[in-house]
Amino acid sequence: MFSHLAVASSLAVGDMLFYAICFIILMWLIKLVAWKPINQMMQDRADKISNDIDSAEKSRDDAAKLAKQRQDALANSRQEATGIVDSAKKQGQQQRDGIVAQAQTDAQALKDNAKKDIEQERQDALSSVRNDVADLSIEIASKIIQKELNADDQKALIDSYIEGLGK
Amino acid sequence: MGDPSSVATFQFGGLTFNAANIYSGLIAFVLVFLFVFALSRHITMKPGKGQNVLEWLIDFTNGILKGSIPGNETGAFGLYGFTLFLFLFISNQLGLFLQIAVGGKDFVRSPTSDPIVTMTFSLATLMIAQFAGVTKFGWKKHFSGYLKPFVFWLPISIFEEFTNFLTLGLRIFGVIFSGEMLLKIIGGLAFSHGIATMIVAIPLELVWQAFSAFLGAIQAYVFVTLSSVYIDKKLEIEE
Repeated sequence: MFSHLAVASSLAVGDMLFYAICFIILMWLIKLVAWKPINQMMQDRADKISNDIDSAEKSRDDAAKLAKQRQDALANSRQEATGIVDSAKKQGQQQRDGIVAQAQTDAQALKDNAKKDIEQERQDALSSVRNDVADLSIEIASKIIQKELNADDQKALIDSYIEGLGK
Repeated sequence: MGDPSSVATFQFGGLTFNAANIYSGLIAFVLVFLFVFALSRHITMKPGKGQNVLEWLIDFTNGILKGSIPGNETGAFGLYGFTLFLFLFISNQLGLFLQIAVGGKDFVRSPTSDPIVTMTFSLATLMIAQFAGVTKFGWKKHFSGYLKPFVFWLPISIFEEFTNFLTLGLRIFGVIFSGEMLLKIIGGLAFSHGIATMIVAIPLELVWQAFSAFLGAIQAYVFVTLSSVYIDKKLEIEE
């Protein structure tokens, strides 16, 4: 083997140089053709994957937040709906009370008016009756007086009239 | 084969070249490049078939490096490990299915069945290790590592470097060389006595080829692993 080596070493330098240069060229070519682009791509892929993981995390958080928001909104709207119904009820109650009260006052006013009218009517009627009675009595009196009227009778008559008027 | 007399040599620019090494080396380089080139078309975010294979290979060699070199220092050696692994793997397998000999001289075989080739790569690894050490710690601190645990350890440290260089190169050479040698012997056996020996030799050849393919893969893996170990040793200061 060593004899082989010794002989080979006398031949060697050219081959060594050839292999060294060829190997360097090959390395350079591989770097150009495959090594750089593939490593770049692998790096890009690693970045993309880590980005994807991050964004997945983020969108999961967002989704959770949204769900919470929706839940809150739902609870809120329920509360709000109850509030609306309550206030509507209250308002209805108020309105009803108002209407009833209004109706009562109206009725009262009507009744009062009616009473007043009736009273007025009565007074009017009474006073007209009184006038009529006075006229009648005067007419009667004049008629009687025209017929025959002694003093006593007249007196008694007048008294009785006066008495009757006093009532 | 492997025997110096069985290879054609030529002179160029005052240097001697081994024709078999040049041809088979070129074939291996071109094969590796075509393999990587074909698989690295259409690089997309969602990997296709070719890209998947290539990414798996890159992960595999990076995994080997990460096994020994700690932390983020693997980045600088990733390309070296990847290219080295692919080249050694294809070189180891090349001689299993493609051996061309013309007029008793080899022209194409596994480049790694020549110690000069494997030594070139082991030398490259050790130089990278030294370079990495010097880059990280500076000249003084790096070379003071040779004096640990005490000053007289220096010859042993230097000898260790030398043996690392030799064993790293010769291990892969020995396995591939012997594998091809045995393949050739079995091949010779097949044609020696007509049909009878062929029936015996063909299953034997099949089995040995399969085993050699396995060994070739293992040796490429081992070479890259040991390279990363040697590089790592220079990146850590022994206390």
